[in-house]
Amino acid sequence: MSVVIPLDEEQRDALQELLNIAMGQAANSLAQLIETKIDISIPKITSVTPAQLYSLLFGSQDTFHTRQSFLGDIQGEVISVLSRSGLSEIAKLMDYSDPLSKEDVEEIILELSNILAGACLAGLSSQLELTTNLNMPTLFTPNKENFDELKWQHSLVMEVQFTVAVSSFSMRVVFCLDDDSLTRMKDTLDELLD
Amino acid sequence: MFEQLVEKLPVGIGIVDENFLVIYLNDFFRDRLPREYRNSYKDTPVTDIFSHQAKFLERRLKSVFVLQHPSFSYWEQRPHIFPFKSSRPITGEETQMYQNMEILPVKDKSTGRKYACIFLQDVTAQASYFRTQQKLSAALKEEHEAQRKLIHKLDTAQSQLIQAEKMASTGQLAAGIAHEINNPIGFINSNLDTLSQYANNLISICDGVENHVTDFNDEVKEQIKNLFEAQHYDLIKDDIEELLEESKAGLNRVKDIVDNLKQFSLDSTKGSQIVELNDVASQTIKLVSTQYASHHYKVESADEKIEIMANPGMIKQALMNILLNAAQAIPDKGYVKLSLLKNSENITIKVLDSGEGIEHKNMKRVFEPFFTTRPEGQGQGLGLSTAYTIIKKHKGKISINSKVGKGTVVTIELPITSKDNSATAPQ
Ligand SMILES: Nc1ncnc2c1ncn2[C@@H]1O[C@H](COP(=O)(O)OP(=O)(O)OP(=O)(O)O)[C@@H](O)[C@H]1O
Ligand SMILES: [Mg+2]
Repeated sequence: MSVVIPLDEEQRDALQELLNIAMGQAANSLAQLIETKIDISIPKITSVTPAQLYSLLFGSQDTFHTRQSFLGDIQGEVISVLSRSGLSEIAKLMDYSDPLSKEDVEEIILELSNILAGACLAGLSSQLELTTNLNMPTLFTPNKENFDELKWQHSLVMEVQFTVAVSSFSMRVVFCLDDDSLTRMKDTLDELLD
Repeated sequence: MFEQLVEKLPVGIGIVDENFLVIYLNDFFRDRLPREYRNSYKDTPVTDIFSHQAKFLERRLKSVFVLQHPSFSYWEQRPHIFPFKSSRPITGEETQMYQNMEILPVKDKSTGRKYACIFLQDVTAQASYFRTQQKLSAALKEEHEAQRKLIHKLDTAQSQLIQAEKMASTGQLAAGIAHEINNPIGFINSNLDTLSQYANNLISICDGVENHVTDFNDEVKEQIKNLFEAQHYDLIKDDIEELLEESKAGLNRVKDIVDNLKQFSLDSTKGSQIVELNDVASQTIKLVSTQYASHHYKVESADEKIEIMANPGMIKQALMNILLNAAQAIPDKGYVKLSLLKNSENITIKVLDSGEGIEHKNMKRVFEPFFTTRPEGQGQGLGLSTAYTIIKKHKGKISINSKVGKGTVVTIELPITSKDNSATAPQ
């Protein structure tokens, strides 16, 4: 299946560059908070169908998911995929003590999502000179059927993976934009490119 | 005016500086302050005033100052950050306030100093509702599970009933047929006896002729010899005895089957007497164990004397059939245990074996007359159906439980009928 990317080459490159910077800042924020080195992957920009999004998010096992919506000049949702493994090491870095209760685990993944998604969004918005506000994160346990019923056909997603150097923990942050926001972002990118 | 509004908002609003010192608290917070801080909360570390969750607050405030990004906390994970009472101490179900918290970074534009603003929402009602809902849903789920089990039980009971029904009708039919077959068996049997007698007589006659053949002239001699040869006399003489023997054996088997079938129609009230089950058990075990000597046998009984009113022959027959199955189910070596238990109303007899077990698909059919998994000629498939009928006649229950590869337990429950009946019961 050919993937339609609703951005042209130039826009894409520009966005890629912006994301690199934004994600780098995000990684720094988290690193600062938990005093550990954090590596980031090169951000991926793709266009997906609901089914593709489902397998992108829930293809791997042993993961937690959260979602957060954001409003403002651009709107959409951030979905974070957090690995189960290595979580307890991160918890220690975040000052939680063993053994972790179910509530502790939930709180940690919500907090991690909030920090990373928040930092990414803040970075991206400031690079694009847009204002956005992130709402609170919630736990997310979707099922395939719901995804099949989604109304949209294609969505632009931006994905980046964070890995924490000293542990097996990794986390992916996936931004999904709605159509209006995509247009808005394209315009902004064009302005920046001029 | 804004300040007044903020004071009176139904959410907690507090502002702390980078050292976590309290700059401002609105009414919501102030009304709930610990007494000793009522007048001295300003410039006191928020983590001192609310020391209950100090570590957590500190962590979250630090994150907000470092990242300049809001932080959230929910009642589901951390219900009581601030030790506040529920707003309905009298009528509410909860005693402590459930809270959602949000901490926002704020900046004083004129001085450039950073602050954190704490919003606290009382979500007790919501939490209470949610928790009730959850309890309800758990209760529902439990109920549902119980119902599912019940339906399953009913299903089993129903198929057992159908089984019993089938048993009863098949049994009656079988008993009827058995009776009918009995007559012809009778005359076939006596005819066979007569026939074999006649055959012997005929053979003697022929042998006599053969022995005296030299007494005849050559022509007659030749004729007799030809006659014997043409009719294959030697062969007939050999075969006839064998044929008769086989027919007799076959007829005996038919008789056995018919006798077994007749058990279905036996009237249990006939021949009822006091039966001591410990004795019956060890007697039958002894019989079976001599036949299948490689297994280990055990009788367990809680009481020295376990007496019921029953037909002793039938009870022995039933136990025998079950014990035989148990012994036959063990391919090599194993154990067979018979246990007897008595309470005020019932006697429970359990026969347990370490045999190969019964496949699930056969479980429903084992009590069916003529159902057998044994090779042809080795089982009639009447053992358990006979036991079933006998136990039913004694107003008892019989059931079977099995695990393939592990073994089988047959459980019999017999009601204890009062001893008064023994006087009227015929010997
Ligand atoms: N203890 C047991 N362990 C395993 N299978 C059993 C056991 N008891 C009964 N069965 C199964 O149930 C079937 C029916 O048993 P039932 O006693 O009625 O007939 P049978 O033993 O086959 O023949 P018979 O008429 O000689 O007793 C058996 O063929 C066997 O497959
Ligand atoms: Mg049998």
